[in-house]
Amino acid sequence: MNDQTQALLSIDGLTVRFGGLTAVDDLSFQVLPGRIHALIGPNGAGKSTIFNCISRYYDPTGGAISFAGADVTRHRAADMAALGVARTFQNLELFNDLTVEENVLLGTYSYGARGLARLLRRPVAANREFAHHLLERVGLIDFLDARAGGLDFGRQKMLELARALAIKPRLLLLDEPAAGLRNREIDKLDGILTDLASREGVTVLLVEHVMQLVMSISDRITVMSFGHKIAEGPPAEIRSDARVIEAYLGKGNLDE
Amino acid sequence: MKMDFDKWALAAAAVVLAVLPFIASGYILYIVNLLMIYIVLALGLHIVIGETGQFALSHAAFYGIGIYVAGIINNAWHPNLVISVLVAGVVAAGLGYLLGALAIRMRDIYLALSTFAFGEAMQWVFLNWNEVTNGSNGYQMSPAWFFGFELTSDLRAYPFTVLGAALMLWVTVWLSRSQLGAAFRAVRESDVAAQAMGVNANVIKRVAFMCSAAYAGMAGGLYTTFASFIHPESLGFWTTILILIMIVVGGIGSVRGAVIGAVIFGLISELLRQMLSFQEIIYGLILIGFMMFAPRGLFSGRRRTRKAAAATGAGSSGGTQA
Repeated sequence: MNDQTQALLSIDGLTVRFGGLTAVDDLSFQVLPGRIHALIGPNGAGKSTIFNCISRYYDPTGGAISFAGADVTRHRAADMAALGVARTFQNLELFNDLTVEENVLLGTYSYGARGLARLLRRPVAANREFAHHLLERVGLIDFLDARAGGLDFGRQKMLELARALAIKPRLLLLDEPAAGLRNREIDKLDGILTDLASREGVTVLLVEHVMQLVMSISDRITVMSFGHKIAEGPPAEIRSDARVIEAYLGKGNLDE
Repeated sequence: MKMDFDKWALAAAAVVLAVLPFIASGYILYIVNLLMIYIVLALGLHIVIGETGQFALSHAAFYGIGIYVAGIINNAWHPNLVISVLVAGVVAAGLGYLLGALAIRMRDIYLALSTFAFGEAMQWVFLNWNEVTNGSNGYQMSPAWFFGFELTSDLRAYPFTVLGAALMLWVTVWLSRSQLGAAFRAVRESDVAAQAMGVNANVIKRVAFMCSAAYAGMAGGLYTTFASFIHPESLGFWTTILILIMIVVGGIGSVRGAVIGAVIFGLISELLRQMLSFQEIIYGLILIGFMMFAPRGLFSGRRRTRKAAAATGAGSSGGTQA
């Protein structure tokens, strides 16, 4: 921690092995509150593995993950929403046979009461309004009653984002949110994410291959290759880092 | 439109059910009693398969547990039938929770097979635990009681089976609209995404098994209000399949489908009682027909593709304004 701001998410010496394969090797980085932090690197670098550790789908082999100063590794995946950690998935995990509205309403599931009181509660009007507000924001308000699985790919991505936002996260983990989107949709995503971080103080950690988006919105970028961190810094620095260009981007790619 | 259909159907059913005891014979009332049991059974299977997507094939076992528990209690203590029905439900629910805790380690075909095995094992218990169930001779049950009133006929049991089924229908709709119902459906659609929303998928699956077994157990308890005899033969896999057919033909995931499927197949199974050998062939033909022409059943609980396609079409014009 090199400045006075306390990191919201702190990854310290994280190591993940699957059998003989080391997917993430002694990796450390910090995400400051209200910032957009990008995790980039070639396929198989271990980015999604890190996401799965933070959101508790995987158990790390070693190292520590702390969120808001507390160790998260003792929590289960289903606890994370209530703690304020939301995520999207690389290959879309929507509730396909439910409506768009129902998908987003499930984001409000972890609000308030716990246990039986939570289960027997009815969706309240305020939650519904909030869900509509989010759908308006991502441009899906006209699709409330549509089946989520029937939307086109770009809209499904936006729906997943709205559903994650319904959790009212402090930390939003986005796994390739721009993959497969058209330029117009990427511009929209850019606006939404910038807004979230700057106006609402939501912290965003994203894995992304679309450099146009990464370079435009990120406050800080961590570059990974084969489970290791090879560089970290603000976009301008990463853009000109020789190791990054060599390992990942290829000569001249960034100027395209 | 849908609301209208439900309201009209419920109102019509209420009128018929209110008039029936004054005009119908004991045999007709017996069939209606049986249909009410089937409705409760189908609603219970709807919870675990239709809502939660867990292919449990052990429903007849919990039904049997409910019948024996209520029957044994009735024989020993002649309690108020509300108590025997509730105890039957609670015992079945407890065992359902335990089965759920074991079964959720498996999914799909493995889950189906292991719950099938549990059903077979329970039928074996019913057949061989002679001291308690009187084994293959069947079990004789004394009439149920309600505040000193002895339910010795189908007519006397009738209000209880009808009110019991109506209550369970109300509970089902209520649960489906609660957060628990949303959690059931989230687990059905995606375990992984459900957890990201804060839904503890394993707990929810266990609760689904428990609720489903509670329905079956209470159906068993209600059965003892008009029946005085049970044979383990009727508590096997075939009964589970019959209830499965009810919810599949009615439309997996739909409450009204479960109710109407239960009525249709309850009637068919009773009409075909005289020709048992044809029964399975006719069921088979009906099932094949539905799979070919209406694979989603009479009422689909899930969204239709046509609606989604229309929405996407509307969306492309919406997209251009953005």
